[in-house]
Amino acid sequence: MWVALHRGMPATARPEDDARRRLVVVGSGMAATRLVEELVARDAQRHLAITVLGDEPVAPYNRILLSAVLAGTHRREALVLRDAAWFARNDVDLRVGARVLGVDRGHRDVMLVDGTLVPYDLLVLATGSIPTLPPIRGLVRMDGSLHEAVHAFRSLADCERLLAAVDDAGRAVVVGGGLLGLQVARALGLRGITTEVVEGADHLLHRQLDTAAGRVLARDLARLGVAVYTGARAVRLSDAAPASIGGALRVPDPLPERPGRAALRLDNGHVLDTDLVVLTAGGRPATALARGAGLQVRRGVVVDERLASVSDPDIHAIGDCAQYGERIPGLVPPAWEQAGVLARVLCGEAARYDGSRVVARLRATDLDVAVLGEPASEIERGGEVVEVSNPIARSHRRLVVREGRIVAATLVGDLSRVGLITQAFDRGTVLAPDEPGRLLLPEHAVADADLRGGAVAALPDEAEVCACAGVSAGRVRSCASLDDARETTRATTGCGGCTPTVRALLASRPALATSPKGA
Amino acid sequence: MSDTHCPYCSLQCAMRVTAARGRLSIEARPEHPVSEGGLCRKGWTAGALRGHRERLTSPLVRSPVTGELRTASWDEALELVAMRLAALQAEFGADAVAVFGGGGLTNEKAYQLGRFARVALRTSQIDYNGRWCMSSAASASNQVLGIDRGLPFPLVDIERTDVLVLVGSNLVETMPPAARHLDRLRANGGRVVVLDPRRTPTAERADLLLQPVPGTDLAVALGVLHLLDARGAVDEEYVASRTSGWDDVRRAAAAWWPERVERVSGVAVSELEALVDLLASAPRVTVLTARGAEQHAQGTATVIGWIDVALALGMPGRPHAGYGCLTGQGNGQGGREHGQKADQLPGYRAIDDPAARAHVAAVWGVDPDALPGPGRSAYELLEALGTDAGPKALLVHGSNIAVSAPRASQVAERLAALDLLVVCDLVLSETAAMADVVLPVTQWAEETGTVTNLEGRVLLRRRAVAPPAGVRSDLDVLAALAERLGCAVPFSTEPEEVFAELGRASAGGRADYSGITYDRIEAEDGVFWPCPATSPGDAPHPGSPRLFGTTFPTADGRARFLVPEFRGAAEQPDDDYPLHLTTGRVLAQYQSGAQTRRIAELPDDGPFVELHPLLADRCGVRDGAPVVVRTRRGELTAPARVVPSIRPDTIFVPFHWVGANRLTNDALDPSSRMPEFKVCAAAIGRGRRGA
Repeated sequence: MWVALHRGMPATARPEDDARRRLVVVGSGMAATRLVEELVARDAQRHLAITVLGDEPVAPYNRILLSAVLAGTHRREALVLRDAAWFARNDVDLRVGARVLGVDRGHRDVMLVDGTLVPYDLLVLATGSIPTLPPIRGLVRMDGSLHEAVHAFRSLADCERLLAAVDDAGRAVVVGGGLLGLQVARALGLRGITTEVVEGADHLLHRQLDTAAGRVLARDLARLGVAVYTGARAVRLSDAAPASIGGALRVPDPLPERPGRAALRLDNGHVLDTDLVVLTAGGRPATALARGAGLQVRRGVVVDERLASVSDPDIHAIGDCAQYGERIPGLVPPAWEQAGVLARVLCGEAARYDGSRVVARLRATDLDVAVLGEPASEIERGGEVVEVSNPIARSHRRLVVREGRIVAATLVGDLSRVGLITQAFDRGTVLAPDEPGRLLLPEHAVADADLRGGAVAALPDEAEVCACAGVSAGRVRSCASLDDARETTRATTGCGGCTPTVRALLASRPALATSPKGA
Repeated sequence: MSDTHCPYCSLQCAMRVTAARGRLSIEARPEHPVSEGGLCRKGWTAGALRGHRERLTSPLVRSPVTGELRTASWDEALELVAMRLAALQAEFGADAVAVFGGGGLTNEKAYQLGRFARVALRTSQIDYNGRWCMSSAASASNQVLGIDRGLPFPLVDIERTDVLVLVGSNLVETMPPAARHLDRLRANGGRVVVLDPRRTPTAERADLLLQPVPGTDLAVALGVLHLLDARGAVDEEYVASRTSGWDDVRRAAAAWWPERVERVSGVAVSELEALVDLLASAPRVTVLTARGAEQHAQGTATVIGWIDVALALGMPGRPHAGYGCLTGQGNGQGGREHGQKADQLPGYRAIDDPAARAHVAAVWGVDPDALPGPGRSAYELLEALGTDAGPKALLVHGSNIAVSAPRASQVAERLAALDLLVVCDLVLSETAAMADVVLPVTQWAEETGTVTNLEGRVLLRRRAVAPPAGVRSDLDVLAALAERLGCAVPFSTEPEEVFAELGRASAGGRADYSGITYDRIEAEDGVFWPCPATSPGDAPHPGSPRLFGTTFPTADGRARFLVPEFRGAAEQPDDDYPLHLTTGRVLAQYQSGAQTRRIAELPDDGPFVELHPLLADRCGVRDGAPVVVRTRRGELTAPARVVPSIRPDTIFVPFHWVGANRLTNDALDPSSRMPEFKVCAAAIGRGRRGA
């Protein structure tokens, strides 16, 4: 491999006559890929020479589908968003396995771990987040490596490593009961693995749900065979010890002849035998490059409404490494909105980012959860709550309404109107006072059978029963038979939809002594 | 007594018409395979315009003195038209005169109109209302499948499919006799899926209904592709051997996971999965699109998305499976093949293709270089009328633009700005009422001609009765005008002669009619194109009921997957216009209603505004009470029809009456130039009674 040994040696020669500004995107995840797509859609390559530096060794893929790959409901091959050929065809320099070591704002270049320098005029940080390692003793071995039973779940490589391990695993513990944790737990359950979830807060999805909704969800998970320990923290991981550990409370192992490879001890005294420990306890913005470059960083890289660092107008940040106001996207849709705005900014349009409406949707088979906006903070801001809760039927639905608009919502266990409620939320539709409540009640069953049987007998003579030929109930009643009705009125000969009604009308006539024709 | 076909929709139900004492009586023809004896009330009552008091039987000319239309002789009217056309062309050039045709014209008239424009008028400015019909499906089919024949198989084939997906079609109401195929399909154990923002009578017969937000059918298609690929349900062998471009579509679909589709389209994840469950397990799937999917500024992309679905499943070319478009107008199919489209010559040839020009010019007996090039598309043509750079005169055949064009108020202004508007029609339509000269022409029972129905089946309508005195056929009008304009080549007025010439002009084109004759059509209950002529002594070509069996008519014989980019409706709801407005048809009326609204037996209650009870209560509107609908382009007051079968964020207005199209958006599809009839942002309020 060629290594730049001194400054001033750009990795790639650039044609002398290339007057385009050099845009370097650090990251090749969801936000970065979307940004490049938006730029390509605007033909931005005409004025920007775009380079994408991705530290993963593969073409950009759809990260949010990893739990579906784990579950076996999504083919691994169907993950790729854009392949190398697409980037090449669109004159974008994609470099995979290109890990960035540092950003030099003075020289306006970035250095890769192999020493290569990549100069920029404009830089975009889309470095995403890094999984948090919870403080569990024994998680990291003395040599600094993770315990062999422990898995992170952020990248395709993580997913593949976990997939390779599931065949030999009988039990798994998922540490973290957020969206990702539940998706992973459900996926492992679908793989036939006995799965338990440990969540430090007092209920699941504590960032999105209130206690009551979280309990409904826990009950749903239990029904699906996933045990949940809330209000409990994992404190120690040890290699499996078949004998009891210091008299601690032991959860009975349903597979006694195959004890787990590890034991995870909780702070409530439980010890969970397990083969796998999956860490899904959240992540933190990957800000090391920004910090090293002296950019302002709080939780994330602080950006303004142009999605530019407040410290350097030529450096932008989007996605999970960026902080706008107090917010960090955390989900794909807002990161994509940022990518859309930034693409317009980079093309010289007067676009600005003003936050996003967020819809969080749990992607897990047979678990129905949608959280629109931030219910808790909207309630604090004076939102009124309209709620229908039925823990027995495992549903809990809450709309937070302000000035007639649905500003947040929690839907657990029953998503029957989720499409409509999301539309009203996204578009800020002003509803009537009783509408939020009606949206949570079952739709009135439309009596599509009311033209059958008894109801047909009650049809007034002037009611039209055949729209195709324009035939009234009275005219049908005057016919001797279905054939007679077809012949004389043409009822049933068009679309044929009225045939049952015509039959019922003919059958429901008061019995006559003789048939009308025979009389 | 003559065998013919219904004057209205693209199904072209077979009928027998008998004239007695000036009245027409209509019977169905149970032996004909297209309709098997079915007709709807529009067909049964079609004879009522014969002898109708509003039927035009004399040319009308607008008096410069009173500004009113007065009767005139044919000679006077034709002379006036020819003189004015010649004068305007002399002053402003050949393109100063424009021609506007219709998808209801017979093949002979559509062909002759294109020839008249290019040869007699030498204008490039000709287009037709088919742009507002199935042009998005036509554009998508040409790009992906290499050919645009609405259905590449007889409609009866759907009875033997396993899953039928109807995207934006309400065929039970719009072509009722076609519904028998749905019932038989279900009796055979097949399933029907409908996508429509309204639970229509068609949806009532479906096993699964998805009600997407208007303008988001493409997002649903991408979601289907996503899940098919995720599950490994793509027919990889078919994709590898018969198509190209799948990898790019697969990558694009990777970004359309179900929860994203749900947020965009309002179709719940569980509903999308239910659809994919059906598709993934069915050996034979048929996808049909209609205006609901096509009449959008993204109509072409939307249809491409659904053809991609059919291709991913490996269906096109497989028996009882594939993709098709349910064309709308009576001759919507044939009308788009023979040269009344701005960029086309007969036989579905491209007007900018030198070989096509040479072939057609030879048939027409003119110099290829004398043929004009491509002109403006329908809406762009109308927008240009009476402007400095645009046409100064317009001839209209078989179209009621003033009612059917989008953003109709603006179109009416353009028509009013013309120096000369000539309209050929049966009755004084809203457009004819604006004309300087109105020429009374024959209706379907009074003329012989062919139409090509939605299956690509060429059918023959035999004349049943002589036209009323004073009425002439469009062929007569064109021949007379050509002569008066001093055109050197003759224009036949005999339909069968014109058809034979059309056949020669189409020979070798994609829509090759050269092997079709009137006799064959009658003997074979219709002939499917392409049907090239064969050498004398050889067996005649059998016609092509089914396409794509072994190859696609593309350069490499493969279907081309294309990546459709979802952008959404051109106009999104906002605080001022918070609702989606969509438009469509009702059973008893047809298109702009120029004919059906004048038939007393057909119920005509005028337009209405369909809305959901939640929305009605929000706005304080009761069933039957007047509602004002406003968009950025206009407003309409009509009675409310409060029904639970429509999405609560969407209202529906039928377009057969003046008004609906004052509301609609004139944003155009970049490829088909289809206006966005099917969705725009609207507001409603309580209307005043009698308003």
